[in-house]
Amino acid sequence: MMLAEQAHASPTLDYPVPPEHRNGALWDALREVMDPEIPVSLVDLGLIYDLRLVGETAEVDLTYTATACPCTYFIQYDIAERLMREPGVGDVRITEVWNPGWSKARVSPEGRERLKVLGVSL
Amino acid sequence: MSRYTEQELKDKVQNGFIVEYPEEMTEGYRKALIVQLLVQADTELVSAPAYFGAAQDAPSTNTMVSATAIIQDELAHANIAYRLLEDLGLDKEQLVYGRAPHEFKHPYGFDHALENWAELVVANGLYDRAGITLLGDVYRNTSYGPLKRALVKVDQEETFHLRHGEMWMKRLAAAGGEAREKVQRAVDWMFPMAVEWFGLPDGMKRHSGQLEYRLKGMTNDELRQTWMKSTVPLCESIGIRVPAHFDAEKQEFVLDYPFPCEYDPEAKHWLFDEGEISWDQVFERWKGRGPMNDAYITSIQEGRAVRRMLEAA
Repeated sequence: MMLAEQAHASPTLDYPVPPEHRNGALWDALREVMDPEIPVSLVDLGLIYDLRLVGETAEVDLTYTATACPCTYFIQYDIAERLMREPGVGDVRITEVWNPGWSKARVSPEGRERLKVLGVSL
Repeated sequence: MSRYTEQELKDKVQNGFIVEYPEEMTEGYRKALIVQLLVQADTELVSAPAYFGAAQDAPSTNTMVSATAIIQDELAHANIAYRLLEDLGLDKEQLVYGRAPHEFKHPYGFDHALENWAELVVANGLYDRAGITLLGDVYRNTSYGPLKRALVKVDQEETFHLRHGEMWMKRLAAAGGEAREKVQRAVDWMFPMAVEWFGLPDGMKRHSGQLEYRLKGMTNDELRQTWMKSTVPLCESIGIRVPAHFDAEKQEFVLDYPFPCEYDPEAKHWLFDEGEISWDQVFERWKGRGPMNDAYITSIQEGRAVRRMLEAA
């Protein structure tokens, strides 16, 4: 498991992967991984920019809501722990990305709905 | 003048009535709520300097961010509770800057220095667990609407503190050697501290306004059991000894030492061998405050000088 490499991916039309293309078992697996503070998934918060299976390695591009996110270790741990339970995944490689920057516009409609129920307004 | 008598209000809140405004409170309700909020606010506030001292021992910048984020949360939680006290007619600035150190109402456990990373994460694992146990119960049961709403976010954030503590306790214990010994040493003095924090056993408590006014739902012993139900298995699972075990016959956790007992604050050591003491002796020790009381409160009140400049301008 390799964690936290800095990357400099450039935003394109397909990057971050738009919601309609977040399909398949790996995306579904990360829909079960909640933010450590609020029970909204990392996918619905828009923190997963890309997700690929290369050979047996699940490659994740991950951002945070802020550089001062206090939970980076937990988030990476939870992602790796969940993906390693998927068939065909033998390793997880997480890349921290800051480009494009996260903003609340990246929260999915499902995520917004969930936040509303929790009393958090965007 | 309240619109209800004491008994009317007690009956109403037991039937689910939610108090929203001061004019709905009786004097007894207001006093009990003020005490509860002061303990809550002062505890959150004083945890900040206590955690700050040990956060400087963080093993990386990444973990330093986590530790200081916890401190930031604690200050914000204190701020929310003091803000609620303003609605009850108290002066927030006087409460923070105008009281002497011994007048603060946080538990005795926070009058002791947290001296290293292990002590910080054990405080997160044990004390923040105590905080969640207490505040989670308040959230589920309180009859005071503004407090219930404020606690939604507070409880979410405390969950992160707890996870931080538990994850690091596991990691240090698994590392073995000095790292593990430091966790054991921290648990040795902090476990009984948290047990004592829940206060008088139910059998000795004559009267609880907080339960009658439905400012909380569980008794002291129920809260203590809830805390042990999480804490004892956590420590056992990582090979850290605790002076308590689950009694299958009684179906509850029991302590393996005389409770309450005396504590040596200089040595950070509980005097199990000297036997049980009375709760009056415990209250006397609490009243005398611990070695860091003065330093922690003074550090919080440093801003007084700037306040004076602003007031004079």
